[in-house]
Amino acid sequence: MTTTLHKPAELEPKVPPARIGRPKRLGQRAVGFFMALPPILLIALFIGFPIVLAFGFSIGLTGGLNHTIATIGQNVHEADAWWGTLAAYQEMFTNKRFLGDLLVTVIVTLVSTVTVLFLALGIGLYLKLKGGRMARLLSGLAIVPLFIPVVIASWAILTFYSGTGFLRSVFALFGLDFPVWAFTMVTVIIGSVWTSLPFAVLMVSSGLQSVPNAMIEAARDAGAGSLRTIVSVIVPMAAVPIIIATTFTAIGIVGSFTVPYFTGPNSPNMLGVDMSNYFSAFNQPQQSAVMAFTVFLIASGIAALYVWANFRSAKEQGKV
Amino acid sequence: MAIITDSRTGPASRTRRPLTLDSMVRSALVVLFVVLMVVFILGPLLWLGVRAFAGNWTFPNLLPDDWTLRWWQVVINDGALGVAVQNSLFFAPLTVLVSAIICLPAAYAFARFDFPGRRFFLISLFATNAFPKMGLFVTLAALFYALNLMNTVLGILVVHVLGTVVFMTWIPAAAFAAVPRNLEEAARDAGASKLRVFASVTLPMALPGIIVAAVMSFLASFDEAQGTYLVGAPAFMTMPTQMYSLVLNYPTQVAAVFSILLAIPSVALMLAAHKHILGGQLAEGFQIK
Repeated sequence: MTTTLHKPAELEPKVPPARIGRPKRLGQRAVGFFMALPPILLIALFIGFPIVLAFGFSIGLTGGLNHTIATIGQNVHEADAWWGTLAAYQEMFTNKRFLGDLLVTVIVTLVSTVTVLFLALGIGLYLKLKGGRMARLLSGLAIVPLFIPVVIASWAILTFYSGTGFLRSVFALFGLDFPVWAFTMVTVIIGSVWTSLPFAVLMVSSGLQSVPNAMIEAARDAGAGSLRTIVSVIVPMAAVPIIIATTFTAIGIVGSFTVPYFTGPNSPNMLGVDMSNYFSAFNQPQQSAVMAFTVFLIASGIAALYVWANFRSAKEQGKV
Repeated sequence: MAIITDSRTGPASRTRRPLTLDSMVRSALVVLFVVLMVVFILGPLLWLGVRAFAGNWTFPNLLPDDWTLRWWQVVINDGALGVAVQNSLFFAPLTVLVSAIICLPAAYAFARFDFPGRRFFLISLFATNAFPKMGLFVTLAALFYALNLMNTVLGILVVHVLGTVVFMTWIPAAAFAAVPRNLEEAARDAGASKLRVFASVTLPMALPGIIVAAVMSFLASFDEAQGTYLVGAPAFMTMPTQMYSLVLNYPTQVAAVFSILLAIPSVALMLAAHKHILGGQLAEGFQIK
């Protein structure tokens, strides 16, 4: 982080006298506050405010700014009490299709996140403990998906595992029949893992690299085996980046649209696709909003983990 | 290349083993894993790339029966696809510019000033990433209808900039924070003005982080599909949203050609900045400090 500390040495003697003339002003705090404000206002206006608005819409408050969408949309439940109505939630949570999609979303998120984490840890540990050409090749490979737009990746993966895809062709040459994975949840999971891998590998291996080698050698000298060293020394020391990688991966997958839209079946599919269908194709924005809040609820559970991990690391460094 | 002994990992505390069956099995497993990863990661891309030059392709064969450049002609002559390319090349640089103007001062403030609400601000920035994109766009749509932003340039721009805020704030903030303070103070004490210090000390040292942020933002805008589709289609089709209809309405080879075209800017930019991205600028930015 700080590689160029040698340069100011020659200027150092001049520091103390000049510093006296510049006390810390209160104005600086105000400057900082106002410099940081624009992106926050943007988010408040276009993310915070719409979420409040859409929550109102989902419980049937159709007046004010919600008027236009309530007029355009079909099958809108209007409030029958001052606080609104739960009719739209009731409708969706008794809807078999929605419940199926919710289950599929949770399963895909769990399986993909665990797979991504497993691969990222494997590659990161191999890079840390063994190093060498093979390890660099592996980590380089894992970064490739970062270079490829998700739309293209989804489509490439679909054709690769399709009825006339590569795997089926290879197996057919040996007279074997490989299952068609295109338009099933298997390709959705494969696609989710493919697209999430680079970020997780970058985060996890940068975390693992910063574990001091001396610690690992000390553990080994104390007689700990490889597995013991990994489980009780290396992974705990890199816990925060690993948790960040996990939460971002899980949040990315739970709300994903492009991968399941391209590679998944018509039904059941993930909520991202269903949300878009209800919004555009079925013109039922209120039902779509209910789905959005269901996904938000899952995501905020995951997000809490991220915030907690960051606070923990800040506390460890004595910054809070 | 295939056999990696573990002679380099540990000091003398470990007995050095010769090539036993155990270590050979281990190396074999590593090689198998690498081969599987190559097929898993690169396979789909190669399979798609070949398709762009393929004429007929009989099923179990691993290569097409004949080769052709016909599909490239189709893409170049198609007006709708050309418009999509233009739209993408219009929105992506504009997004980076707007996002930089809004976010870079904030990034500097997060790195250098302590002000009330700093931590709260940092966490609200995270909200853009914590909430799943599709859900956000659905909620955003209600507001866009009310403000008449549906199917407008401004509406699409808002969606694209929202997708870049986290990159444009966090990554440069980490880069600014990494510039040693005493270096700046030394320059100040040597008589440089505040602006001068920023322009000739802070900015050059933080530049790799800013470049990574700009590249990630450009690509985020260039690849943004779901929000653009919901807010802009069919009035404004960008390259990724055009892919949605392309896959359904054109021969697969045309979509393959279009995919290659769409991937060129991403690959070029990523290769240009890959040293900084792999060097930890990206990973550094995602840890709230």
